[in-house]
Amino acid sequence: MIRRIWALAVKEFYHLRYDWWLPAFMLFGGVLELILVGWATSRPMTNLPLMILDDDRSAASRQVITMLENTGTFSLEALVPDEEPIREAMERGEIYAAVIIPPDFSEKMASTNQIPNLAVLLNGAESIPATAALRAVEGLAREMGQEIAVERLGIDAEEFAGFEFSVRTWFNESLSEAYYTTPAELALMLEFTVLLFAALSFSRERELGTLEQLLVMPLTSLEIIIGKSIPVVMIGFIDFSLMLTMVHFVFGVPIRGSLPLLLLLAFGYLLVELAKGMAISVFSRSQHQAFLLVMILGFVDFMFTGYAAPVESMPKFLQGVAQFIPAQHWLAILRGIMLKGADLQVLWPNLLALLLLGLAIGTFSLRYVRRALS
Amino acid sequence: MSLRRLWAVAVKEINHIMRDPITLGLVILAPTVVLFVMAFAVTVNIQHVPIAVLDYDRSPTSRAFIQRMTAGDDLDLYAQVEAFEEIDALLLRGKIKAAIVVNPRFAEELLAMRSMPLLVIIDGTEPQSGAHALDHIAWRTEEFISQVLGQELEALGMPRGSLQTLDLRVRTWFNPGLKSKNDVIPGLISLVLGFPALSVALTLAREREHGTLEQLIATPVGRAELILGKMLPYIMVGLVNVILIPAIAIATFHIPFQGNYILFFLLSAIFLFAILSMGTIIGVFIHTQPAALALSFLVIFFPAFFLTGIFFPIAAMPEVMRMESLALPGTHFAIITRGIFLPGVGLEVLWPYAVMLFGLGVGFSAVAALFFHKKLA
Repeated sequence: MIRRIWALAVKEFYHLRYDWWLPAFMLFGGVLELILVGWATSRPMTNLPLMILDDDRSAASRQVITMLENTGTFSLEALVPDEEPIREAMERGEIYAAVIIPPDFSEKMASTNQIPNLAVLLNGAESIPATAALRAVEGLAREMGQEIAVERLGIDAEEFAGFEFSVRTWFNESLSEAYYTTPAELALMLEFTVLLFAALSFSRERELGTLEQLLVMPLTSLEIIIGKSIPVVMIGFIDFSLMLTMVHFVFGVPIRGSLPLLLLLAFGYLLVELAKGMAISVFSRSQHQAFLLVMILGFVDFMFTGYAAPVESMPKFLQGVAQFIPAQHWLAILRGIMLKGADLQVLWPNLLALLLLGLAIGTFSLRYVRRALS
Repeated sequence: MSLRRLWAVAVKEINHIMRDPITLGLVILAPTVVLFVMAFAVTVNIQHVPIAVLDYDRSPTSRAFIQRMTAGDDLDLYAQVEAFEEIDALLLRGKIKAAIVVNPRFAEELLAMRSMPLLVIIDGTEPQSGAHALDHIAWRTEEFISQVLGQELEALGMPRGSLQTLDLRVRTWFNPGLKSKNDVIPGLISLVLGFPALSVALTLAREREHGTLEQLIATPVGRAELILGKMLPYIMVGLVNVILIPAIAIATFHIPFQGNYILFFLLSAIFLFAILSMGTIIGVFIHTQPAALALSFLVIFFPAFFLTGIFFPIAAMPEVMRMESLALPGTHFAIITRGIFLPGVGLEVLWPYAVMLFGLGVGFSAVAALFFHKKLA
């Protein structure tokens, strides 16, 4: 039996040599994409173009402009005479925010009981950079406001430590964005590549008409399934190891827990996705169908992983559904081991859930695929 | 080029599509589902973030403070703990996303206006919940301080409700409340309309795989006719999505649509032409479907996500990437969709982007047709 499975696996590898694009994509495409994704998502927003309308033209207003430039978030696009150029630039999507310093700004700053104001205009059609811009301006306003308050309240600046509380970020003391994003992207990349590769296995043979040949060979359906799975598992696992290496060395994300445990669980998770992919692959009549199904199912999983939106904020019903998504438990395990240094004592609920889901999906998939093949 | 021959190719392709209703259904369903899922993720309001509280002060002031923190839907008190180690364990298990530690002498220090003896701990592995908890705590803290110190502040002419002695007035144009769903969802339309492009790449690769491309080549159909004829049916399929997706965005996610729908439809057709031309280039160069799939991901989907300015602003990109993003149809179309949805601008503002899209489409399909010929020889 092992000899026959091996023969089939070797045949699969021959195919891969001819169809080298897919394994190449799985191995290097995944890594390449992770670099791109990680690079794009792991940087704070800087150089946002900002327009300033200074109606005050005083020493105080010039100081505000300097402070805005010093936040590091903005690059000064232009000093404008009125609101018209701001509106035009926003309609074209060229700027995300503008700051207006009103004519009485320096006067109110100098008085003892008047509150100076600044206006910030945001481009609502670009809400993500606009929000980043707002945060930066708010931080500046808070800083200036507190300086004024301390001065006017007559608090001894020496004794006053500020009303800011202290913050500590656990598991990510340096506040690296890469810690948030790259482990999740690694987890999802593994899911999509394995799912896609497995989903093409039978659908491709069927579309090209070679499935019949496979079926008339002296192989049992179980042997066919195992033989088909070997290349997927091997390439998927190598792919995971490559991506993990890169996340660790290029993006500096630590692996605080046990590496062997992480690799073992990655292998287990890979088998769950393999089972899903195989079921899709016998269901689909063509590669096109298989691909579209992978996209639909993959994106539904993506919604429940907690990467795009936190699961605990979702309606109760969807929180329940999330418990049945293997990718969600896998992401918890991956983040737990890499960032929190968690061990089995901590991770067992996720592991148990993954195990049960894996058994259920695996059993269903095996029966479904065997029936379809015979 | 003859329109009749172009149409003949298109009809052949339409027949082919109609023969396989499951695939047709999936081709229409996939962009819709992907848009729905991503739109849902954008609209989830972050709330009910579980936190733990450790109160070393145990004064009426600290109790009032904790009460105020956990009032409302934003933060949920998961546990009031007695020791620091408990916070550690809860964070490790992911039971809480943040913790508030009220230091001893909290009330004393605060009332004397010396400091804010408070420590906030957030889980650094899940950015959204942690950041939300932090924002919420900061905002509530400020409110609390200004209430406790209300009288002193009022005497100085400061508003009672706020410690801000600098009044920041925020005006948001086009999208009151700065709701990210209102611009991200129109932007995502340019991402999900990449699916028909992938279908074109796959059908071209499929003809090669099945060896039916030679038959097509033997007919008197020219290469431009063949390329455009292959594209036309998928532009039609894409247009079904152009009708369906804004309807979902408006009905389900309550996205305002300020502009002209006819204009939106026409510019979407130009966008489909441009993005499908990218798909045909892939189909011309690549000879198997798995490879076409892989390349489509690299060339169509990932750049559409990261380089078209939907999530990551183009102005903040390095020069090289900014140039690359200009070559992507999605960049121009994302500006068009958001422009039509939110400010409701018309061609007087959008014409340069429409011209760019059309230019890219003509350029890409010319490249496809050119190399198609060479590949046959």
